Order: sequence, then C-alpha cells, then structure tokens
Amino acid sequence: MISNPVILTSLIFLPVILGFMGCLYPKLLYKISFGTIFLYALTSLYGYIGNFEYSFKLINSEGIPLSFDSYSLPLIFGTAVVLLTTFLIKKTLFSHYFYQICLVLFSALSISFLSKDLISLYIALELTGFCAFLLIADRNDSKSLFNAFQYLIGGGLAMLIYLFGVIQAFTYTGTFLLDELVNAPPTALCLISAGLLTKAGIFLCGVWVPNVYSYSNSQSASILSGCVTCAAIAPLTRMSTVLAPISNSLIIIGILSSVFGAIFALLEEDNGRTLGWSSVSQLGIAILSPTYGCLYAMQHGICKSILFITLRKNKENTNIYKLDPDVDQDQLEINSADIEEIISIVAFIIAGLSISGFPFLSGYITKALVKSDLPKEALLIFNSSALLTSVVYMKLIINRVNNLKIKFIFNKLSKSFQEIFFEIFNAKNTTLTLASLSIFFFSFFQVKYFSIEKVQNSIITIILGLIFYISFMGFKSNNEVTTYRKTIDIIGAPFVIAALLLANLTYLKIL
Amino acid sequence: MAIDESLIRIITLSPLILLIIIGCYGLLTAKNIFNSLFSLDVIDTATISTFVLIASFPGTQTPIVGYERYSEYADPYPQAIILTAIVIGFATQALLSGIALRLSRKYPLLRFKDLENDK
Repeated sequence: MISNPVILTSLIFLPVILGFMGCLYPKLLYKISFGTIFLYALTSLYGYIGNFEYSFKLINSEGIPLSFDSYSLPLIFGTAVVLLTTFLIKKTLFSHYFYQICLVLFSALSISFLSKDLISLYIALELTGFCAFLLIADRNDSKSLFNAFQYLIGGGLAMLIYLFGVIQAFTYTGTFLLDELVNAPPTALCLISAGLLTKAGIFLCGVWVPNVYSYSNSQSASILSGCVTCAAIAPLTRMSTVLAPISNSLIIIGILSSVFGAIFALLEEDNGRTLGWSSVSQLGIAILSPTYGCLYAMQHGICKSILFITLRKNKENTNIYKLDPDVDQDQLEINSADIEEIISIVAFIIAGLSISGFPFLSGYITKALVKSDLPKEALLIFNSSALLTSVVYMKLIINRVNNLKIKFIFNKLSKSFQEIFFEIFNAKNTTLTLASLSIFFFSFFQVKYFSIEKVQNSIITIILGLIFYISFMGFKSNNEVTTYRKTIDIIGAPFVIAALLLANLTYLKIL
Repeated sequence: MAIDESLIRIITLSPLILLIIIGCYGLLTAKNIFNSLFSLDVIDTATISTFVLIASFPGTQTPIVGYERYSEYADPYPQAIILTAIVIGFATQALLSGIALRLSRKYPLLRFKDLENDK
C-alpha cells in the first residue's frame, strides 16, 4: 500500500477539488465522481483486508495526526459503497449539484474518520452537517426546509457544546489531540461526547433522525442513513478505546438507545420513520463495542441505504400488487417494471434480514463480532434488543410485501423471464443484485463464527420476531402518540445527555 | 496563591457562562424561528469569547515577536483555531436566514407551532 504522507493527504482532498471543478465541467461529473469513488472503495477494501495501518502528521511533527487503521478504512469503504449504490440506482434523476455535494461529503466524512485532532474533527463534522443540510433540503418544499432547519440548528448547537468541551479540555491538557483527553476533566468529556452523540443520532440526541429520514427524498435518506451518521462513530470508538470511563458510559447509552429505538420503531405508523428509529437503535449497538463498532456501522450503513432506496412501492406501472377486481387477471402479463419491483423487493428482504442478523448474511458476522466484545452483564439486553430488531424488520418486510400477488408472480415469472431477461439488464437491477449477493459473500470471510448453536440461535430469534409481530399486529399505533416532531426535543436532548453522562461519570459510576 | 488565581478565572468566565445560559434559555423557549436563530448566535459568540478569554490567561500582550520581547503574551493557538469556528458560525447563520426567508413566504409569522403541524 501507499505510505507516503503527501500522496495520502492529496487523496483525502481530491474529491473536494473534483467537486468544485464540477462547476466548470458539469457534463463529465457523473463519470468522474463515479470513477473516483469506485477507486476509493477498492483501495480502502484492499487496505482493510491487508490490515494496512499507517498514521502520520500533517505538515510537521506538531501537525494534525491522521491515521489509516481498522477504525477508518471500513467506514471509508462503506461510505464509498453507499454513494456508488445511490449513483447507480437513481442515475437519471440527478443534476450535477448532487454529485458535487456527494464528492464534498465524501471528503468531509473521510477527514472525520481519519482525524485524531479535535478541531479538525469539528470542521469536518460541520462540513458534513452542511452537506447533509443540502441533501435534506433537496426536495425544496416548506416541510423539508423546516426539517433541514431543525437539523442545522440542532447540529449547530451540538457542535457548540462540543467546542465548549474542547476548550475546557485544552485548559487541562494544552493540546487539541484526541489521545490527550486522558487528562481532561469529566465535564469536558461529557460535553464532547454529547456533541458527538448528537451528530451520530443515538437515542435521545437522535430524535432528529426519524423526522429527517421520513420526509427527504429516498436517495438523500439513503446517503444520510448510510454514511452521515457514521461520521461521529469513528471518533466515539477512538475515544472509548482510550478512555475507560467513557466506554463504560457509552455501553449504558448504547443499550438504552438500542432498546428504546427499537420500541419506538415498532410504535411508528410510517415505514420511513420506522427505519429512522431502527437506525437509532442500530447505531446504539455499534457504539457498544469499541473494536468492532466501525465495522458494524459500515454493515448497517450499506444495508440501510439499500433499504431506503427500495422502500417505496412502485404501484403505478406494475401489475404485481392487487389492483381492481374488474381487470381479468389472466390477461395481465409481467413486464419489465414488474421484474424491477420483484428484484427490489428481494433486495429489501435480504438487507432487512441482514440487519436483523440472519445467518449467512453480513449482519450475522458483525453481530457475532460485537457480541464477542461485550461484557457479560450487557449480553442479556443485547439479545433482547436483537429480538426487538428482528420484530421491527419483520414488520417492515411484511409491510413491503403486503398486497403482493404471489400466485400470479409464480405463474407468470417462469414463462416470461426468458423473454425479457435482456430488457431488465439495466443499472438499477444489476446494482441491486450485486449488492444483495455481496451481503451474502461478506459473511464467508470469517467462517469461524459459524457454529450450529449460533446459527440456531439467530434463526430462532428471527422466527420469534415473526411470531411476536404477528401476535401484536392488533396494536395499531395512532399518529397522535409518538410524534417527536418538536424542535425543543431536538435542541434540549444534548443537554440532557450531557447531564446524564456527567452524573454517571462523577457520582453514579454504573459499570 | 493558586486558589486565588482559579477563583479569578472563574469570575472572569462567569459572564460568558451567563451568556450561554441566556442563549440556551432563548433557544429552548423560542416561539418562532427568528428567536432561535438569534439565540444560536448568542451561544456562538459566547463560545468564541470563551476561547479568546482562555487564551488570555497567561497574559494579555500580543503574541508577536518584534524588537521588544514580551514576557506575558497571550496563547496564540486557541485564537488561531477559533477563526474557523467564527467562519462556520457565519455560514450557519447565513444558511438559517436563507431558510427563514424561504419559509416566510408560506408562513409569514415563522412560528414553530404552524411549521410543526404542517402536513
């Protein structure tokens, strides 16, 4: 691998330069951005498999430390894959501004994954926030603008809280390095982690997540859920490897987040909001384990982006949902739109099962890795949150395949598949198929986690989830109960979290 | 002596902490978008001033090497770094004002009550 500071630094900043060059050459931008991000995906995957580790300081020995290691490389790979998937599937809908935002976002995210300096982290997170703001406001009506406003004001306040923590740590340590936080007082640690938790969208600070995801465009939601929330995961995991008190507090917050996020997800009516709460719950699991948290966040991001892209039903052009009873069913033929819809349903199911930890999918491996890293006290709650997750995804999958005419599909599919096989061979289908296949193949990298007992365990969890969901289907939630839509919730949450953390660090000392 | 120094530091910082509390109060009780926007600006200013004040704890003389060497100069490191935060604060304010402008076409009063119940 490359181990030259100059080349690596210019690699980090190349996407930003390309993104701004895109103003001049808008027509070439799709190919350029696709090629660049594809290159980054390959490089980071190669680096991760080869256990590449290299850290250097920008400019001179007192400069900004950047580190390529097992924390940053999987997240860079995940970000690149999420962006590539979104580009390929929704290719025709974008203007060149979208690619520009994505390129800048990619650079900002890589800086926040790589940097071990608190101030660079602040700048990278703010840049990420601005890009996310532009993605949310992409829809350009008053509600999405208001969501973007909430996100920006909440994120801005969180970053100010973070800055306060940073300056307090500076008075004790004399530097802005992340590793030097060992000498910082508990208040500073609380403020810093409250800011980061808000950016990561973990429970109580993450009440902005379902609002934003449910109403933005599907491509924006997929990018936001896939990579923007991961921006603060890498520094959090870095912090919790260095600092024991923070890692203990993060276990509590993570468990709270994973359980309550899943419960809120079950209570939601709208599928987009359900996915948002489930994202809160999954990132809560990711911060439980400092070693494998980044890997978990990567897997979750890729699956969640596929879920968001394939979430919406395409009812207009397809015949596979129940239409009017007047139309004669035998006259209908399966066309290419139907095949597309079937492929996206299959991708949705595979991604959902992967997050709920089905064996032979990538989610199973990352769940097993996180589980092996947890303290024994937390395992019970981890298992129950896994059960809740599988209930949530059963709900989502059942909602997705609702009204599907399975008999019709089976009858017609075999006949017409060969005729329109070449018609359907477009970018969207190929990407979705490849993505689903790759979720399978990822799990075979680490075969040692497959034992009959564990496979049985996870299958039973998923079946239990199905049973629970079916038995509780009578509980239809109404829209009045769980609306965390108010701005005061978004703004007030970081304070509450900071106070809780401070109480835990100084007085309670749970764990 | 050490206790006195820390006490003096706390006393010098107390107006800024008060400013932050005022800003947070404004942000939490704001009824419309403009109030929350201004409150955010107040907190922003307080944060920046805290950086500058903490940088001036070693001394208040300018940290520039001239013909005369100062002995008690201010720490230039936080001052240099807070410039970025000032710029980012401006950018945030500009974006938020832009949104407020767009939203005011549909909701001229810009109240949270109207905007949150927008279906």
